[in-house]
Amino acid sequence: MLQGEHITVRYGSFTVVEDLSFHLEEGQWLMLAGPNGAGKSTLIETIAQGTPYTGSIRWKGEDIRSLKPSELARKIGVLAQKNNVGYAYTVEEVVGLGRYAYKSGLFSGRDDDGKAEVEKALEITGLSELRHASMLTLSGGEMQRVFLAQVFAQNPQVLVLDEPANHLDLKYQQHIFSLIREWLKEPGRAVLSVVHDLSLARRYGTHAVLLDHGKTVSQGLIADVMTPENLKQVYGMDVYAWMREMLSQWQEPSQPDAGI
Amino acid sequence: MQKSRLLLRERFSPVTYLFLSIALFLTMVLCICVGSVRITFSDTVTAVWNAVWGLPIPQNIAKNIILNVRLPRVLCVTLAGASLSICGAAMQGLLRNPLADGSTMGVSSGAALGAIIAIVIGFTIPGSAYGGTMIMAMAFAFGSLILILSLAYALDRSLSTSSIILIGVIFTMFISSIISLLITFCSDHTRSLSYWTLGSFSGVNYDQVKLLFLALLLCGGVLFRFSPELNAFAISEDNARHIGVNVKRVKLIIMITVSVLIGVCVSISGTVSFVGLVMPHIARMLVGPNHKRLLPASLFSGAIFLLLADLVARTLLSPIELSIGVVTSMVGAVAFVIIFNKTRKAR
Amino acid sequence: MSKKLVSLFLAMLMVFSMTSVLADDAAVTVTDMYGREITLAEPATRIVALQPSDCEILCAIGCEEALVGIGQYCDYPASITSLPKVQSGKETNIEEILNLNPQVVLMNDMSQSEDQVKQLEDNGVKVVISTTSDIASIYTAIRMIGTLMGKDENAEALIADIQATCDEIRAKTEGNEKSVYFEISPPPYLYSCGSTSFTHELAEICGLKNIFGDQADPWLMISDEQVIERNPDYIILMNGMGAEGIDEIIARDGWGDITAIKDKNIYYDGTSMMTRPGPRLKDAVIELYNFVYGDEAEEVPAA
Repeated sequence: MLQGEHITVRYGSFTVVEDLSFHLEEGQWLMLAGPNGAGKSTLIETIAQGTPYTGSIRWKGEDIRSLKPSELARKIGVLAQKNNVGYAYTVEEVVGLGRYAYKSGLFSGRDDDGKAEVEKALEITGLSELRHASMLTLSGGEMQRVFLAQVFAQNPQVLVLDEPANHLDLKYQQHIFSLIREWLKEPGRAVLSVVHDLSLARRYGTHAVLLDHGKTVSQGLIADVMTPENLKQVYGMDVYAWMREMLSQWQEPSQPDAGI
Repeated sequence: MQKSRLLLRERFSPVTYLFLSIALFLTMVLCICVGSVRITFSDTVTAVWNAVWGLPIPQNIAKNIILNVRLPRVLCVTLAGASLSICGAAMQGLLRNPLADGSTMGVSSGAALGAIIAIVIGFTIPGSAYGGTMIMAMAFAFGSLILILSLAYALDRSLSTSSIILIGVIFTMFISSIISLLITFCSDHTRSLSYWTLGSFSGVNYDQVKLLFLALLLCGGVLFRFSPELNAFAISEDNARHIGVNVKRVKLIIMITVSVLIGVCVSISGTVSFVGLVMPHIARMLVGPNHKRLLPASLFSGAIFLLLADLVARTLLSPIELSIGVVTSMVGAVAFVIIFNKTRKAR
Repeated sequence: MSKKLVSLFLAMLMVFSMTSVLADDAAVTVTDMYGREITLAEPATRIVALQPSDCEILCAIGCEEALVGIGQYCDYPASITSLPKVQSGKETNIEEILNLNPQVVLMNDMSQSEDQVKQLEDNGVKVVISTTSDIASIYTAIRMIGTLMGKDENAEALIADIQATCDEIRAKTEGNEKSVYFEISPPPYLYSCGSTSFTHELAEICGLKNIFGDQADPWLMISDEQVIERNPDYIILMNGMGAEGIDEIIARDGWGDITAIKDKNIYYDGTSMMTRPGPRLKDAVIELYNFVYGDEAEEVPAA
């Protein structure tokens, strides 16, 4: 569905992403992994057309640069890493903006399934109660859920998420990740996400691209990418041993939760 | 704790509009009835009523003052207040900056410079008394806006509140030095040039009312049409892009629209500061930040504010007139400090 | 004893003769219009005048040759405009003034600072402050400058001449009740003049009532409604718009019923004589008189 070819992003003389290619097919959840500064968020911004790049990103063979912004938004829903709001919009207003791409025509605000989609998005993210709350009064996790709800209301075919678990407490982490996995089960859908927590990435991802300093170290099935050798090369430490040590803390008094 | 956050529910209702339009109407009536020359309420109403229905007006009524001096002025002030206020609201949304406005960013000064240059070089458009200055004011308003924003981008990509204001202040100083220079070199025009920066609605006529009305109808319509996009920009430019807004195009359209409207206003009344800064904030308190409601509310409140300011300018020291810029700046400067303080605390 | 008397007599004689030398000297002392006393060893022969009205006074009392420099706005009489011009006002150019090497600088008290005055005086240039606003102050200035230049008789003659013209016209126009509106700046910044202005006195001499004479300020921004309400019989334009100003004021919305506009009693003053408080006050009074009464009365010939 979504295909990146030889993507290179430079800020001045500094190369953030170098000659990166990726494939995202229906039903896949592609995890972008790598340490800080690897270029993960930059790649997300590139897909959102928010930064100049060379190379191409194709939607079913068509360069997305030739798509109208609203067409692109109906195909790809992007969640940015940092979201904050300067004015006292209500939760419902922000989520409702997710329907923007469906309101076509000069003066028509027509969007027949808009209301239902917004309603559904509010409900699945647990925001129905807060719909009239001001964005300025929300906590970081609530804010994150609002923007997730906005992406769901946008009803795209591919979700491109930068740290969807940002600011979320455990309950909502699990909730949101399960939600995305459910969402993915419908035909014609795919997910690409940056997930900092390697356990989460490993648990939910089907495929992965491991990045370091803007270059691809490894890509393919998640199990083939997240090998002890690859991770050691990228993170400079024995990730497996560390994870095991962390988990060992949870053996007493009860069984560790497999999901987290 | 959850309960206190639900305050925003139903804070807006159509009653707010009803209230605003009644308030505007009453203010307009007040401003037509009260002026430097005392005319009785019944005479005023008779003059306006008879004029509207084409009836003869009794000789003993000062119909010239009411119909040809005060009425066009009140209409002009109403339209200019509304225009400046929605321009401010649109810019505050577009730039996600509560201190953005034609006057704080230097767009109005740019427009004034354009108008002055038109006078100095004798640029006129045949068949239209105000065409030359108006076109130049619009062009310079747009040029200033582009210049200020690109400067701000170069210094600070996030376009933070204070960097835009800083550049606006520097730009305004730069423009006023150019204006002083022009005044020095073109001393035969001195009289008509040096007052541009003060703002006044004295001596406006129905032609100018028509022009302003057209500009407001057109530009206001465009801005209102783009209220969903303005909402998206007010949340963040990135968010606007993510939900499918054609960011570059919409930004350009809004900036051109705002420049045209500010250009028309400045070419008629000179620069009137602070209306566009303060009134959208009051409107936001009343109806919330959604531009679908904010733009009309700003329109009403801007008109009411400027009408009252003009009333003070006309009558406070009668028969002496104050410059309307003096009144708006005095009120506006205080409001500016309060808003700035509030937004700083909010971060 | 007699020796003593003789020496005392001689001493007294000496003192007397010395004082008589001093008294006989050409020294002049003037009190300027700021109340400061300025003494010169002899009447000034090199003078810089920053104000247009002072230039006019100097020329009117026959001292044009003494002028070595003028302020930037000085434009009358035309013969002085070739003299070196000096920036005046807040940015008064001290360097240029010193370079012209005058004995005296005549300036007003409006925008020059005390520091500038001190700087000039420290360099040996006497500063005389001359501020003219009403007719009485014009006479004071003429007398002061006359003394300064050693031309007291010329100054008195000039004043007498102006006074005679004013008195003549005042007598002729006694009992007139017509009103006049002076416009200094066009809309949107409508400026006129109040009772402390020189222009107001001009109107009075010609038997006209200044419609804004109830206001104290010399210059004031006024409401257009008030002009219509006060309905002047005559309009004098000095608004810098040129002769087109007459067409412009006739075309103004709502002004059509003003008597002056209906009767086309509008005069455009392209010169500065009606706004500049100087010796051309005589010409201004004659001009205004001829405009108002020209049709019915015999003209007063311009001098």
